[in-house]
Amino acid sequence: MLDLILRSTALVAGTLSLLAALGVVQPAFSQPADPAKEPVVLGVSGPLTGQYAQYGAQWQRGFDLALEQVNAGGGIQGRPLRVQFEDSQSDPKQTVAIARKFVADSRVVAELGDFTSAASMAASPIYQTGGLVQFGFTNSHPDFTKGGDFVWSNALNQAEEMPVLADYAVTALGLKRVALLFINNDWGRTSKDLFAKAAKQRGAEVVGAEGYLADEKDFRSALVRVRDTKPDGIVLVSYYADGAQITRQLREAGLTQPVVASGAVYSPKFLELGGTAVEGVHTTTPFFPGDPRPEVQTFVKAYTGKYGVEPDAYSSRAYDALLLLATVIRQSGTDRTAVRDGLATVKDAPSVVYGTVRFDPQTRRVDKPLSTRLVVKNGAFALWEPVAAKAAN
Amino acid sequence: MLPTTLGPWLDYTINGLVIGNIYALLAVGLALIFGVSHLINFAHGSVYMVGAYIGWLCVTKLNLPLPITFIAVAAGCGLLGAVIERVGLRPLRNAPRIAPLLATIGLSVVLDQSAQLLFSPDPRALPTQLPTWRIAIGGGSIGALDLLIAAVGIGSAGLLYGFLRFTKLGWAVRATALDRDAAQQCGVDVDKVNRTVFAIASALGGVSGLLVGMYYNTIDPNMGFQAGLKGIVAQLIGGVGNVPGAIAGSLLLGLIESYGIALFGTSYRNLFAFVALILILVLRPNGLFARARRLPPEPLTGTFIAPSRPLVLPKWAVWTLAAAALALPLVVQQPYLLQTLGNAWLYALLALSLTLVAGTVGQVSLGHAGLLAIGAYASSLLALDAGVPVLLAVPLAGLVAAALGTALVYPAFRLRGHYVSIATLAVGEIVTLVILNWESLTRGPIGVTGIPPLSVAGKPLVSGQWVYWVPLAVLLAFAALQSRLLNSHLGRTLRAIREDDVAARSYGVDLNRYKGLAFAVAGFVAGVGGALMAHFYSYINHETFPAPVSMLALTMVILGGLGNVAGAVLGAAVLVGLPELFRAAAEYRMLIYGVVLLLLIRFRPQGLLGTV
Repeated sequence: MLDLILRSTALVAGTLSLLAALGVVQPAFSQPADPAKEPVVLGVSGPLTGQYAQYGAQWQRGFDLALEQVNAGGGIQGRPLRVQFEDSQSDPKQTVAIARKFVADSRVVAELGDFTSAASMAASPIYQTGGLVQFGFTNSHPDFTKGGDFVWSNALNQAEEMPVLADYAVTALGLKRVALLFINNDWGRTSKDLFAKAAKQRGAEVVGAEGYLADEKDFRSALVRVRDTKPDGIVLVSYYADGAQITRQLREAGLTQPVVASGAVYSPKFLELGGTAVEGVHTTTPFFPGDPRPEVQTFVKAYTGKYGVEPDAYSSRAYDALLLLATVIRQSGTDRTAVRDGLATVKDAPSVVYGTVRFDPQTRRVDKPLSTRLVVKNGAFALWEPVAAKAAN
Repeated sequence: MLPTTLGPWLDYTINGLVIGNIYALLAVGLALIFGVSHLINFAHGSVYMVGAYIGWLCVTKLNLPLPITFIAVAAGCGLLGAVIERVGLRPLRNAPRIAPLLATIGLSVVLDQSAQLLFSPDPRALPTQLPTWRIAIGGGSIGALDLLIAAVGIGSAGLLYGFLRFTKLGWAVRATALDRDAAQQCGVDVDKVNRTVFAIASALGGVSGLLVGMYYNTIDPNMGFQAGLKGIVAQLIGGVGNVPGAIAGSLLLGLIESYGIALFGTSYRNLFAFVALILILVLRPNGLFARARRLPPEPLTGTFIAPSRPLVLPKWAVWTLAAAALALPLVVQQPYLLQTLGNAWLYALLALSLTLVAGTVGQVSLGHAGLLAIGAYASSLLALDAGVPVLLAVPLAGLVAAALGTALVYPAFRLRGHYVSIATLAVGEIVTLVILNWESLTRGPIGVTGIPPLSVAGKPLVSGQWVYWVPLAVLLAFAALQSRLLNSHLGRTLRAIREDDVAARSYGVDLNRYKGLAFAVAGFVAGVGGALMAHFYSYINHETFPAPVSMLALTMVILGGLGNVAGAVLGAAVLVGLPELFRAAAEYRMLIYGVVLLLLIRFRPQGLLGTV
């Protein structure tokens, strides 16, 4: 027993010294006494480690940039804006603990995240009963905002996005027999159904639909099934890494049909991982760095200046979400309920994704996203021009 | 719809062989390590990932030619393998065999997290410098890289065969594999053999990572887990520890998956593979290509789980601790702390369940999260679709999990040792995949929303105190029950099965019946735990209880001490608590967690409270 205690003590001491060595044990700061200078805190629950860590890292880049701009512009009525980013690994048992932490911490005025539906929606009841806004800026699950009147989202509404994609594929590109590959999770599945419906209304037939598992890397056999449905076009409801993988493998399998991918592939990584195979892939995006609007140009310039790469879908959404909440808090104050009411009434919040943002107070979602048609040309996303496309055909 | 002509089947066959070819690269290394040290090396996937990153550095940063890149990757990973053996495993050579298994899990956490910190979690492109010509076969084509992968797989298996057959060190390796102690007495330097084997297998694993990274033009720090899992399945199909068998098993796994896609569709791929694995295990428990004449598969759990003197808490201490735990919310009002401890109690239910089957009966399950998922879905669907009150749905869900869990694991009752672990791992995956694909019942990928919370007399129990008290009360009841059970005649019978199943059988113990009983009790406890989680979360889908939860449960059980009820509770509290405790460390916290786990295994391999 004594032995065990000694060993445990040694272990604890070792761990603490390890923590200290990593420079993560911070001495407690004495709080500034002046409440007018106290920071306004937004809680973020998101994956910094684990299998979704790449998305959390993209969020963080967007948040950091937005924070710099907000605080350079005077913060929230002179008070600095802060983000408290808690790593959840998108694990439900951790998001619920984080939710309790944020709800109990009176400095936190609203919360952003989490990433996966399983992780985000497990925490919704706690935010709802605690009266703290949960703002899921990437949560597209159709039932996400049904968690209660404190649960809001400005994620792309697939009921809006999929008809836009179907317009592109069917009306503009003239595809009549479409084969669909979709990631088999809540987002992919909902999108697939909505796309199929929209394509049918526009006179095209969905000849095949293959749902693949999220960690799939080999699509050769799935593509044999796609090939045998004899489609004249292939639609991908994918994220960038799997989208790039599928496109590579379908070109290697000798499929030459045009590929139309959902906006989630919009990322420099799609081009990097797909290489020459993704040349000619069509996609739509609400956010496009070539957009001439001044707020977009300011964002792109600042982002490329800070990180050396072009912003992608997730970092731009994080940036947008933080600016939106800053605008709402400036207008409505730092009271938690006021933030909720402010979201319902906010009208002219600038947004790189939407133009200006307005919420439907009933569904607590945003309507009318912008949409730009893009095509991959010479290893970069470029605006799609119907005439040039026809000439190429 | 069945494809009617031969054309597509040729394509499916070729595609199956191509992907099997890739699985083979990992399976060969795993088979080699298993053959010598009887260890399923969960760190092998991480070594594979490290190989991919070394290759990435060589190709994109240093612009080295391909052959030099290969040598650098093999050397780097070979060295890493030797270090893993020296630092992580050799100190545990006299510990129970379960300890090195856990150490490899800890090592893989450390390696994956380090890579994530060094290279960022973003995926990266790993361009190939090979020529881009492709040979058309059937409706598809294969490229230079496919041929290179096949050459490396078969070539390395051939080289290994020669090494094991014709060199002195190779003989030593085989002698060690047959009987470590005897080999040592004959003057074989067993440590050197182990080091060599780890170095060779890891070098091969690293080269596989490089090749597969080039193949998909993508590498990321988490690429190892799934790949390692497939490698383990493949080598099991071929027969563990059998190098040529591993290659054949890999090709077969590739074919099974490809035909599964052809017959049922893309999202049935893994379901088909895991069902096939269970069938093969049941029909040929030693793998398809095991030689007829061989030693008994492996010594049984007497050596797998070390006997140790458990730390027995005096009765008054147990009562005091329980009373203190119950009274805690009256003193401490922090909802975050209560929620974290509440989570710990919920996971302790899972650990309690696992420690009964893994510790007391010796059936180490790697698919225990499947029981949580069954309980969670059963209770949610009963409450939502059948209108059963939540308070009744939760115990009913426990019964469903008990029945379904036992029925699913039943075919694995005749298996022993590692094979049980892999069969249960497959069962866990099957549960997840059925949930994903059986849409009419489970709502498929959309998940179950709006699950009602627990409520008493119309008052929902959602506050911080209740998420603490409800799991704690359930946990204390089950823990008391399980302690009684362990001290009873039944408990002794179950332990007898663990210690020596042949002896137990000769005393008239019906193994299947007792194993079934243990799994039923365990299924009930875990099912109730899963049901409670579902009602607290309000939303569940197929990702709520993923495979790593099973690993976490096993880690809790081993950390606390196998079969030890108090140990299971302590293990759950430590492993749910540590990541929260390290929260200030942000990105570093999982790395610290991995290091702490390794230290715990190193200094207390029999678990904190010892095996019961």
